[in-house]
Amino acid sequence: MSAQEKYQTLLELANQNGTTYELSEGDNGTLVVTGVAPSEEAKTQLWDEYERLDPEFRSNDLILNISVGQAGGSGTTYTVESGDSLSKIGKHYGIAWKSIWDANRDILNDPDKIYPGQVLKIPV
Amino acid sequence: MKIKVLTVFTLALALFLSACGKSDADLAKAANDKLAADKVTGVTVAVKDGVATLTGEVGDITVKNKAEASVKSVEGIKSVTNNLTTKPLPVATPSAPDPALTAKLNDALKAAGCSGAAVAVSNGKVTVTGEVPAAKYVTCVQTIQQAGITGIDNQLKKGK
Repeated sequence: MSAQEKYQTLLELANQNGTTYELSEGDNGTLVVTGVAPSEEAKTQLWDEYERLDPEFRSNDLILNISVGQAGGSGTTYTVESGDSLSKIGKHYGIAWKSIWDANRDILNDPDKIYPGQVLKIPV
Repeated sequence: MKIKVLTVFTLALALFLSACGKSDADLAKAANDKLAADKVTGVTVAVKDGVATLTGEVGDITVKNKAEASVKSVEGIKSVTNNLTTKPLPVATPSAPDPALTAKLNDALKAAGCSGAAVAVSNGKVTVTGEVPAAKYVTCVQTIQQAGITGIDNQLKKGK
């Protein structure tokens, strides 16, 4: 059974509770889930489900990297430079481009259009 | 006479088809409409004798499951063969080179009250040893998994 199958209820839960995530594959088939939850509560739900599926987290087949988005946040910002894209900036901070997009809907109209000098909120 | 035979035949055919319910083509259309309504894309549906076969590549397993549930809910579909595949995942990249990641992990663990945990990082993969209070265990595991690592070997012990 693949890690995706094993943790499918966790991913379904993320879709339901408004957590945006991206999947990647780490060491030896480890499923790496990088995402942003809308609240502490949503994040706790995901960790509870993780614990239900893998008590004590000793299977070493999932890395759940969920941060809690916005709501004041830690106040990290990034000033766009020429040649940047949301996915490039996301990679720099190790977060999904979507979470940057979600955090900056107030100033962005199109995820493909960012301009040098714009100051983006980084939900880390 | 000829017309009469044709009429009877046509009526018989109509009766036969309606008794069978919707045709496979109708079911395939209904299934596609349902998938579109549920915002599932990238799925091809073929229907034969009321059995739907799904093919194509989707983002992740949740989309695969959703597609199956959507098509199953279409009236007249007897069963669904789910041959959808999930997109190969990109390779995870560590958030920092090993020494920086080690420093980041140690700082975060200390801040979280997990100083009993020891980490060794190799190409983004973290081996965790040591012992932390049982009440702190989940917090410590979270702290490690949130540092931007790409592999884990969790040997952390739960102490008192």
